[in-house]
Amino acid sequence: MKLNTSFFLILPAVIYVLAFAFYPTAEAIYLSFKDPHGGFTLFYYKELFSTFDATGAIINTVIVTIGALALQFIIGLIVALILTREFFGRRTLLTIVLIPMGIATVVAAVTFKFIFETSGGYANSILHSLFGISVNWYQNSLMSLLTVIISDSWKNTPIITLILLSGMMSIPEELYHAAAIDGAGPVRRFFYITLPNLRKFIGISLILRGVQEFNIFALPLILIGYHPPLLTTLIYNLYQTTFPEVGLALAGATVLIAFILVFVGIILILSGR
Amino acid sequence: MKRNILLYIGAIVVGIYFLFPLYVLVLLAFNSPKYTILKLYPSLLLQAPTLNNLIVALQGTAFIDPFIKSLETATLVGLITIALAVPAGYGLSRIPGRIAYPILVLLLVTNMMPGIVIGIPIAVDFIKLGLYETVIGLALAQTLITLPLATFIMQGTFSAIPSDLEYQARIDGADLFHRLFSVLIPLAAPGIVASFLISWMFSWDEFTYAILLMPYHSTLPVTIYIDVTRGNLLAGIAFSLVFTIPVIVLSYALQKYLKGEYLAGGLKG
Repeated sequence: MKLNTSFFLILPAVIYVLAFAFYPTAEAIYLSFKDPHGGFTLFYYKELFSTFDATGAIINTVIVTIGALALQFIIGLIVALILTREFFGRRTLLTIVLIPMGIATVVAAVTFKFIFETSGGYANSILHSLFGISVNWYQNSLMSLLTVIISDSWKNTPIITLILLSGMMSIPEELYHAAAIDGAGPVRRFFYITLPNLRKFIGISLILRGVQEFNIFALPLILIGYHPPLLTTLIYNLYQTTFPEVGLALAGATVLIAFILVFVGIILILSGR
Repeated sequence: MKRNILLYIGAIVVGIYFLFPLYVLVLLAFNSPKYTILKLYPSLLLQAPTLNNLIVALQGTAFIDPFIKSLETATLVGLITIALAVPAGYGLSRIPGRIAYPILVLLLVTNMMPGIVIGIPIAVDFIKLGLYETVIGLALAQTLITLPLATFIMQGTFSAIPSDLEYQARIDGADLFHRLFSVLIPLAAPGIVASFLISWMFSWDEFTYAILLMPYHSTLPVTIYIDVTRGNLLAGIAFSLVFTIPVIVLSYALQKYLKGEYLAGGLKG
């Protein structure tokens, strides 16, 4: 009887998730293959790849995902390494590092829009006063994607830092002492002790951030609009222009789901679980 | 000694990197526009501090309408989340782990699904149901983001309450309803408050569902986006700043509740 009551209490949450997450996902995939008369069609996919350059959007999404993950990872690792030391002002630095977590993505995007503005931008203001040069941050697709990568890394490095920091804290001190006695310098200690022991934590943070990176939407929409398109901004653009005919947008959505599944699979295999 | 200096240089560089965008936001909000958006190379110092930008932007209904929409939506998301997560968390803490964990994983997996994928079919369905462009509809969709974490917190909270307490109340003749409201919920109050506040904050910051399901008279994040893309820059900046204040206040309040045990409690049993 007790078990039954418990299940009865869990049921509303499970029904809610099925109705609002799993059903729409299935609906999205189903509708992307359905023509207006109810038959099976690949029309939306053909259209998506021939007219709307979905391939370009996919490539851009992959560039942003890999670029942002790499940048967040390098900065996150450096920050975590600094924070494992004891020094005056450590707590203050930790508080500062965590600030971006409390800033809404939209606010971060708006701020970076003003930083990378070609006329009236703060990045150029610094470059101009230091080196007397100024850069057009949107001169080509790659540069535009770079602004997205930098902005996104600022917003999301803290979570990676926290995961890596907790991983570093869990490595026993004795390992480092033993290695130091055997004559290993700080660089070798980092590569032979810190990195291998962080493997699991690196896997967790890669999955967590990688999936979010594929879904990155508000930031590119505000910073660069639809040019160059990412998968998400392309989907939104199609949704907006064809609503309430959503077949094209849903074909894009299905491609996005497929990419996320492949990505999670690769990471799961690589991190050895 | 040399390595200590390197450490401090590193720490300072990191500090500047994380603070700089916030500093830019403050400059944009409080400097006179002629030193910021109207200049080719905007000043990196606060040259002519003014409150004028904020005062102009916050007057009239341009700010108050989306502000109220955001307030309503976030509060409703908090309430719906609590209504679903408290019973679910309690139920999950009282069944064997091998059944409870797959259900928790199922909930957490939903967080991996892109809002833009789920949001489009929901928008189509909401038009049919009359929920498009309504606070209730948006709140129902945003609860997807908050429910997994809230359920996780509530499961941990209830697991940390000794079941002896509940048995005693039962022996004293209290039925499930009375046990819940006079024993369990008061003890779980910190976890419930934390879940509510986190949900409120997630909804306050949420953009994807808001722009898909409520594109016309929307919440603050969408309004900021529309203002900035249409060249209404000063309003966008002022809204961004005001919009951030509740999050900072709440984050501070949350530190009191998030000491870790509510999140870890469920993992220990």
